[in-house]
Amino acid sequence: MIEVQGLTKSYGSVAAVCDLSFSVAPGEVLGLVGPNGAGKTTTLRSLAGIVRPGGGTIRVGGHDMERDPVAAKRVLAFMPDEPHLFDYLTVEEHLRFTARLYQVTDVERRLPALLQELELSEKAKALPGELSRGMKQKLVIGCGLLHDPTALLFDEPLTGLDPSGIRRMKQTIRERARQGAAVVLSSHLLHLVEEICTRVLIMQRGRKVALGTIEEILTERPDLRGRSLEDIFLTLTGT
Amino acid sequence: MIEAALYLTGRSLVNATRRRVARLRQPKYLIGLVVGALYFYWFFFRPRRGGGLGAVASPGGEIVAVGLLSTLVLLKWLFGSAETPFTFSLAETQYLFTAPLTRRQVIDFKLLRSQLPLFFSALLSALVFSGGQVSGLRLFRVVGLWLVYSTLQLHYAGASLLWASLTQQGVTGWRRRLGTLVWWSLRRALPGIVSAFQDGSTQGYAALTSVMHSGPLGVLLWPLEALVAPLVAASPVAFASRLPAALLVLAVHYVWVVRSTLAFEEAAVEHAAKVARRVEAARQGRWGERTIRARQSTGPIRLRLAPTGGPAGAILWKNAVGATRDLRPRTLVLLVALVIAGSMTLASGPLRALDLVAVMLLGLGAIALVLGPLTARCDLRQDFEMLDVLKGYPVHGRDVVRGEVAAPVTLIGLVVWSCLLGAFAATASRPGPELPSLGDRLALLVAALPATAAVLLVLVLVQNAAVLLFPAWVSVGRDRAVGLEATGQRILMTAASLVALLVALVPATIAGGIAGVGAHAVGLSALWAVALGILVASGVVVFEGAMAVSFLGGVFDRIDPAGTGTG
Repeated sequence: MIEVQGLTKSYGSVAAVCDLSFSVAPGEVLGLVGPNGAGKTTTLRSLAGIVRPGGGTIRVGGHDMERDPVAAKRVLAFMPDEPHLFDYLTVEEHLRFTARLYQVTDVERRLPALLQELELSEKAKALPGELSRGMKQKLVIGCGLLHDPTALLFDEPLTGLDPSGIRRMKQTIRERARQGAAVVLSSHLLHLVEEICTRVLIMQRGRKVALGTIEEILTERPDLRGRSLEDIFLTLTGT
Repeated sequence: MIEAALYLTGRSLVNATRRRVARLRQPKYLIGLVVGALYFYWFFFRPRRGGGLGAVASPGGEIVAVGLLSTLVLLKWLFGSAETPFTFSLAETQYLFTAPLTRRQVIDFKLLRSQLPLFFSALLSALVFSGGQVSGLRLFRVVGLWLVYSTLQLHYAGASLLWASLTQQGVTGWRRRLGTLVWWSLRRALPGIVSAFQDGSTQGYAALTSVMHSGPLGVLLWPLEALVAPLVAASPVAFASRLPAALLVLAVHYVWVVRSTLAFEEAAVEHAAKVARRVEAARQGRWGERTIRARQSTGPIRLRLAPTGGPAGAILWKNAVGATRDLRPRTLVLLVALVIAGSMTLASGPLRALDLVAVMLLGLGAIALVLGPLTARCDLRQDFEMLDVLKGYPVHGRDVVRGEVAAPVTLIGLVVWSCLLGAFAATASRPGPELPSLGDRLALLVAALPATAAVLLVLVLVQNAAVLLFPAWVSVGRDRAVGLEATGQRILMTAASLVALLVALVPATIAGGIAGVGAHAVGLSALWAVALGILVASGVVVFEGAMAVSFLGGVFDRIDPAGTGTG
């Protein structure tokens, strides 16, 4: 469960996120969409505990991110759009390191199967510099899912993946949601959002423009009925 | 083509200068520039004794210069790479090799582009050797050096092309034959020259000159002499009269290179990618890294991470793995062998080889202690650009800082302690009266072990504190700032480290002093009392360090990655 209440974040005089509230229940996939600079990434980074909000509260799995960030992060996984890896750790070492930080004690047993699942068995001893972008993305996702998080945050999850990787990623997101994880997915790919998200949060200039299922949004704006999500998005954001 | 090269060089220079001037609005760069400029002035222009480069014009100077140049050329022919004659950047390969340009135009472009760096190299060389005395003649020296560097560049390119061409045609064994010829010539000429130098330098130079001017060698060396002549000219008139011959040598080299029919483009593209990888590795602090394939095949030292335990230990492991990935057991063995072999060579009279081993180990330990915290960046200086990732982990800031600081302290500490223990072991059986008794030496060791660890802790903590408290002032991660401003910033950081060390040592010295004096008063020998005092002082420093880690952990928790503005 992810609960956001009155989230606010400013950089100097620029308000990146303004009084944003929403919640994501277990099993739900929330699509976070908006034009560039809408505040999507800031929202995700606040949810992940990377940046400190200027105001409001964030609760992940019942833990307040401000008061008990360690407990909140322990049930969370954040997959950024750019796969950030330690240049000097191999694929296998990344998994071991992450397992230790998240107290995953059976990593030794799970490692071979996990590497096989990620299609990285042959690259287990490789450094990030030797991996393609898609492989790096897979490794980040493998590290993120290692501790079976109940809250998942994806920022542009399909970037750099090949067609089979895209299919597998969609399956993973759906599968995790089915298992009870609360998922937030930020993407510019509206067809992806339409395909796998149960609800949509449309943002513009740091504010919430619309929130709900597509049906709920259309109920509020009947003039948009019958149009694609792309048309709805462009109309609501005025872009 | 010339216009394009000049445009690229000119615009690159203007834009880089404009960017540097613009960033001077930030105090960190302005103050850095002032400090860097003062250092530059002190290093290059402070009044010094001696004429510096002027010595080249002295009797024998010309012959020495020709000798040095000959050696460089010979080394290139004997051991130089035939891989690629020109080093292109990735951007150059992308834009030039796909552009509608002839091969000669590409070479012209590359040669023109390299003239500015070569000129600066000549200017810097002249400054270094001139003792800060800038005069008209020195400016001629800069031009002379520039000519030498440009011709050398062309000569290297021509040699590489020739070697590659011979290899393609299946002609082998040339280097071996050339080496044999050089060895045979040296064996014939050297004894006479050495003997002449034993009679006096004038006779020696005369003998050397005679050898270099006679027979086929005289013909072979004429281009080098013509090239060096303007550099060592004693007056502007002499410079002008010698210039045409040097320019002729340069022109002949140019024709040689551009007339070569060998295709170098493919090798250049591969080389550009290799250079880019090396630069990337160097930016990450892995200097001298070989190719990935080579690194894996040699099998690095492995450190295992236990699946359970505190997060600080995991971060320490992560950084230690990264820092030691390129370290080979054979490197350590080679270092030990070098220390022992050097000591055995230098040992004489009452100075035993083991004494020298001890001295060398103490020297190595001291260097590691002083320079290690500055150069081993396997801590927040390396990881700060991964702040997003670190802050996403379910770990308290104090644990992150503890792990980050522990990595360099542990690694450098191991080196320092190994040196201290090695030095102690090397002199353990020394009965001589020149050294303190074994017991006293043990007391010194007992004092030195915690003292070095404490100093190391403070120095590493200062570097990491700077990253967290003044991120804009510290260069972190891959991007290492260069230039006068960066030099100034580093000088300021070093000064700040020393001040912090002194401040940290005040309470430690007081506590240690009280403990030492008290211990001596109750009957402990002076040296053991000092050892006890240092032990207590080190304990105080460690306590201060723990407090600092706790404080910095709080800073880490509060820091906003978006607002760090790292420099």
